[in-house]
Amino acid sequence: MSQFLDRLTFFNKVKEPFSNGHGITTDEDRGWEDGYRLRWQHDKIVRSTHGANCTGSCSWKIYVKGGIVTWETQQTDYPRTRPDLPNHEPRGCSRGASYSWYLYSGNRVKYPLIRSRLLRHWRAARKTLAPVAAWKSIVEDPKKRQDYISVRGHGGFVRAKWDEVTEIIGAANAYTAKTYGPDRVIGFSPIPAMSMVSYAAGSRYLSLLGGVCMSFYDWYCDLPPASPQTWGEQTDVPESADWYNAGFIILWGSNVPQTRTPDAHFYTEARYRGTKSAVICPDYSEASKFGDIWLSVKQGTDAALAMAMGHVILKEYHVDRQAKYFRDYVRQYTDMPLLVKLVRQDGRLVPDRFLRASDFAQSLGEANNPEWKTVGFDEISGKVVVPNGSIGFRWGETGKWNIEEKEAGGRATTLRLSLADIKDEFADVAFPYFGNIENEHFTHSDHASVLNRRVPVKKLALAEGETLVTTVHDLFIANYGVDRGFGGENVAKSYDEDTPYTPAWAERITGVSRDKIIQVAREFATNAEKTNGRSMVIIGAAMNHWYHADMNYRGVINMLAMCGCIGQSGGGWSHYVGQEKLRPQAGWAPLAFALDWARPPRQQNSTSFFYAHTDQWRYETMHTSDILSPTAPPGPWDGAIIDYNIRAARMGWLPAYPTLTQNSLGIAKQAADVALEPKDYVARALKSGELSFAWSDPDSPQNFPRNMFVWRSNLLGSSGKGHEYFLKHLLGTSHGVLGKDLGEEGRERPKEVRWHDEAPRGKLDLLVTLDFRMSTTCVYSDIVLPTATWYEKNDLNTSDMHPFIHPLTGAVDPAWEAKSDWEIYKAIAKAFSKVAPEVLGVEKDVVLAPIMHDSPGEIAQAFEPKDWKKGECALIPGKTMPMVTVVERDYPNLYKRFTALGPLMEKVGNGIKGIAWQTGHEVEHLKHLNGVVTEEGPTKGMARIDSDIDAAEVLLMLAPETNGEVAVKSWEALSKTTGRKHAHLALPKEDEKIRFRDVVAQPRKIISAPTWSGLESEKVCYNAGYTNVHELIPWRTLTGRQQLYQDHLWMRAFGEGFCVYRPPIDLRAVKPVQGMKPNGEKEVVLNFITPHQKWGIHSTYTDNLLMLTLSRGGPIVWLSEVDARKAGIVDNDWVEAYNANGALVARAVVSQRMKEGTLFMYHAQEKIVNVPGSEMTGQRGGIHNSVTRTVLKPTHMIGGYVQLAYGFNYYGTIGTNRDEFVVVRKLRNVDWLERPLQGATPAVEAAE
Amino acid sequence: MKTLKVLSALLSYPSDELIDAAPELKAVLTNEGVLPRRDLAAVLALVDDIGGRDLFDAQERYILLFDRTRSLSLHLFEHVHGESRDRGQAMVDLIKLYEDGGYTPTIGELPDFLPLFLEYAATRTPEEAIELIGQPGHVLAALKERLVKRSSPYAAVFAALVSLSKARLDEAALAALRAEPDPEPDDLEALDAAWEEEEVTFGPGAAKGDCGVDGLAAKLRQARRPAPGLEPAPGAGPRTVITTSPASRG
Repeated sequence: MSQFLDRLTFFNKVKEPFSNGHGITTDEDRGWEDGYRLRWQHDKIVRSTHGANCTGSCSWKIYVKGGIVTWETQQTDYPRTRPDLPNHEPRGCSRGASYSWYLYSGNRVKYPLIRSRLLRHWRAARKTLAPVAAWKSIVEDPKKRQDYISVRGHGGFVRAKWDEVTEIIGAANAYTAKTYGPDRVIGFSPIPAMSMVSYAAGSRYLSLLGGVCMSFYDWYCDLPPASPQTWGEQTDVPESADWYNAGFIILWGSNVPQTRTPDAHFYTEARYRGTKSAVICPDYSEASKFGDIWLSVKQGTDAALAMAMGHVILKEYHVDRQAKYFRDYVRQYTDMPLLVKLVRQDGRLVPDRFLRASDFAQSLGEANNPEWKTVGFDEISGKVVVPNGSIGFRWGETGKWNIEEKEAGGRATTLRLSLADIKDEFADVAFPYFGNIENEHFTHSDHASVLNRRVPVKKLALAEGETLVTTVHDLFIANYGVDRGFGGENVAKSYDEDTPYTPAWAERITGVSRDKIIQVAREFATNAEKTNGRSMVIIGAAMNHWYHADMNYRGVINMLAMCGCIGQSGGGWSHYVGQEKLRPQAGWAPLAFALDWARPPRQQNSTSFFYAHTDQWRYETMHTSDILSPTAPPGPWDGAIIDYNIRAARMGWLPAYPTLTQNSLGIAKQAADVALEPKDYVARALKSGELSFAWSDPDSPQNFPRNMFVWRSNLLGSSGKGHEYFLKHLLGTSHGVLGKDLGEEGRERPKEVRWHDEAPRGKLDLLVTLDFRMSTTCVYSDIVLPTATWYEKNDLNTSDMHPFIHPLTGAVDPAWEAKSDWEIYKAIAKAFSKVAPEVLGVEKDVVLAPIMHDSPGEIAQAFEPKDWKKGECALIPGKTMPMVTVVERDYPNLYKRFTALGPLMEKVGNGIKGIAWQTGHEVEHLKHLNGVVTEEGPTKGMARIDSDIDAAEVLLMLAPETNGEVAVKSWEALSKTTGRKHAHLALPKEDEKIRFRDVVAQPRKIISAPTWSGLESEKVCYNAGYTNVHELIPWRTLTGRQQLYQDHLWMRAFGEGFCVYRPPIDLRAVKPVQGMKPNGEKEVVLNFITPHQKWGIHSTYTDNLLMLTLSRGGPIVWLSEVDARKAGIVDNDWVEAYNANGALVARAVVSQRMKEGTLFMYHAQEKIVNVPGSEMTGQRGGIHNSVTRTVLKPTHMIGGYVQLAYGFNYYGTIGTNRDEFVVVRKLRNVDWLERPLQGATPAVEAAE
Repeated sequence: MKTLKVLSALLSYPSDELIDAAPELKAVLTNEGVLPRRDLAAVLALVDDIGGRDLFDAQERYILLFDRTRSLSLHLFEHVHGESRDRGQAMVDLIKLYEDGGYTPTIGELPDFLPLFLEYAATRTPEEAIELIGQPGHVLAALKERLVKRSSPYAAVFAALVSLSKARLDEAALAALRAEPDPEPDDLEALDAAWEEEEVTFGPGAAKGDCGVDGLAAKLRQARRPAPGLEPAPGAGPRTVITTSPASRG
């Protein structure tokens, strides 16, 4: 039979199987597919990200359908990296993936809310009074004021209209400025990098008002002061892609997979490439499993470990054998070859300050700033020379501020590291030792408090006579106890000797075996030697949140410096704590602080502020003598910690707002009345006592902060260390403070502060919070304003982890009555301008500001600092006291100023970090781009800043990172000072101008700018210190080099000239509460540690059902099986942790992961989700910060001394919290407090 | 059915306007006469209760009940879909329903906001309206019970709605809702039960009955996990439920 007719020509049989019988075609109804199609249909996809305080800056696609956000997925279109380097994506984590839930969540703030007791008084008063008078009538009536402030945190909100709440806020601000001064209006908002326009909205309003912007990086304890101390830089770190280039990575106190989730893939990829990794942390963290080796260090003793590793590296690579790369590196890039004076004190020889050119006859030929130029021995000429690059070269002259190996005269030099070969003699030099301080929770050694070690010295004939000198290098090695064959005590020949800082010594302190210490140190250094510095330390909050964090950090920095890792690709110091990298900072600052209208803005370091104004100083348990060095030079080392802060403020070192007891709006007139310049008047009046500093009496009503704004922040639920003190003194509501203050205890009181027996309760008249969710801070506020979420506004976002600038984009309009932060502050500005004329017009505001880093003023007092109050010197503004400036405030036109780019950009120009340039061209561009103000008035013809996108365009246009033309200008400006050509770094991108719509289309890589010390190029990943090492731009320190010796008097007094191990401090918070209220359960005392968590970014997402479901659904604390057994606690028990500061309640997670002696509570879990009452306080549970209290460190208050000079979020006291211990016990009665507030004062009837 | 419009108004944020309209509200309720006598009396009592209070107090109470207590949210899908991704699509569908009926939501509210939903239902024929409000009947019944437990006069509105819908309640769905949120805060055992995590088993055998591949089985299990308010799969353990308790009740 022919098969021809059987074979089909035009058809296939429908049901014919295919793919070897695996496939079959069917004709069933496919309608079900529409369900799937419909499910994934959308009207549009919008790019946005999550502005939580995290370094992710991840690109997300937001799907919108019918005006409703339906879901989000990760975006995968980042620009590719170069060949041989993994790409950035995918970026994102479970937290971000659940964000769309927030938009329609039951916990969303939907309408402006106000405390009904306040609104009642307001409406009653407004019936007859103008707005400011109405506010005055409420807050000046103690009964009415108490009526609403005493119920803060206890519910009682009603809705209000936008017009009404903005009028109340405007009236309160105007009243406060008129009555007490504008510096009583303060605002707290953190981390501008996460949504910089939203930050700028509030800070621009406050700055135009003369209000105070509060710092965050130092307050969060994310600022490592060791960074400014060593490099003159707040923080600068490698991007995560550079991990891939490392040969050896130490992960130290950082939990990368958990807290840097979107970047963790680079860590994995690096390990595939062959990078070896050591992980150092007490607990078996998620990161530990990445390690080839895990060192379980006793918490808080990291500096001891670092010192021992440094000991090994010095001995094997610098002393017994000298690695050439390391030697050349430390000679050129660190202060090691520079000379230090040795002075005799109490029969001992101690290191004093750096020798300066001015110490020599004729100042070694230096006419400009000789007292600010450090010196060293030159091997070539055999003479003492003044090498280029010290700070004296930066100001007052040009062309020599660089770190070429040259001396000021232009001759090449090779500086001598050690004086061993040219010594006159050996001398025993005294070093302080703190490792012998007894603490029941930490191991101490029995070595003496002062350790003498032998160093080679030279005798020099100086202007003041014969002086002994040596180099930093010689002192540095001696400090580590490495034996160099010079004889003498306290040096070790063998690693097994128990001498500070050998591996055997460290084994006892840290619990890490000596062989592991030696192994890791050797591998770290060997890799660095073979690769020219590709050894990296990723360092995290676990290192930085200790009182002596500086020692942990400097211990690590020393290791990196002695191995030449800083500034080298694949190497260096990767401090990932906090989101510090606001890449287009130079363009953002004028917008944010209204520098286009007035300079300087008022900026406050928050740690000191909250210490003073939440009265935490009244409960201080630490004595200065606890931390003073046994080798302290003579000086004013008496008094309490707050006394040091007050000295620092009056000497112009730290800001202190409110500044004066007197209203700053009245001072210009008082000066005019006596025919004096305001600055001369202020100096004279401070001396005579006519004017006085507000901080000398923070408990006097005149000196209270009165109005406070909180936005983009959960100050009370997350970052407020000493939470219960905030509630007690700043807010005046119910609180859980268990301890007694100095007065009640009869202990010694501060000397410089006026003591009130009765501490004030409720300093704030008004607390306003902007948020999209009802956070703990909102719950305590008087007014809550509903703000747009991250899918409902336009903004910009940058990170230190990748080099791209990323947008937030409004996918949908703000739901309910929410508005973007920009629109909210615009509305407040408008309302304020309307009510202000009732009491305010154009005013002269006298602003006192501290001496700023990176300004010519930073070289204020070269030697021993003098205090005018003690009659040691004259009052010279900007030198021995704060700078004094008169600023014009046009209150009725504040709104107009808010919405236009002011004249100072053209008149004065712009700049950053001491580099200045003209901006006329950019301003012209902006006028075309944004349009000009057409309305009549003082801003007519100026560039308009109306919408959030206008604001974004302003900062993108002005910043060198996003405008190539500005980048070139700024590099050229720097070239004048350094005498070297840098513009080549930006010239290829000169014509590139990144606009808002560009980053919406695709994230853009920023342009290299002198703001930062790394490069964005096709050849290297971003890494900090790169331009210092490769372009020979000095670090912004006294010596111009990485400064490993800190020679300021206060540094020496507190024993931190060189890095040493210092055990955690004793905060004495446990004893007072032990046995206070027994409940019959066993107690255990544990170290309270607050790591970053897995199910939230700080407090954000912790109220998200998805994240709650993934964790345990409420507050939890982690403890070891051993400690749990001791206290009779089993997993999931309700437990209470408490000390003198307060109490918290949580469920126990009993885990093998935990190291004995520690209690983890992830920060930040809010008290609004599943938190019962505490048996100790009777208040609702508390949060992690209920058991903490801020403790300040005097060395963080130093100012006017180059890198130790103030800068906003750059230097200042930090909010440490890990030295704290708590009592932990099982909770007997779980009380949810679901009943009306007991003992609340009944509402006061509003006056009709 | 104007009665639904009245109930919508009563569940809205109390205002002067609402209080002034009390006689009108009462007249409609009485004249239309669609509510059973007992429900009618309770709703009238609520009208008086709101009107008889200081407006600030009424507003404070409203915010505490409906804005700050998640288990009493007036957004229906909070109880049906919770945090699930289905919520977005469900809202989209609801808007479509309104638009097909000739109405566009104007104010900044979500389509599943109960007063808004009721206002739409009021524009329909009585049959359609009753059918409509019957759909979320089990949510309305659960809210009623929670409000009764709190002795809140607002329970009247929900009781009226339940009667009105003549809904033959899906008892199983209601039981699931009853079992779920809103544990009495001092009932420790109930809280523990609510907190208990669903048991997850791993390894071979765990996925028996699906298709033998653990990963796929996990995905299926996830997909089959019921949204709050829906019947749990046979043999499924208790679902983890978390409620938000406001920081304080003042």
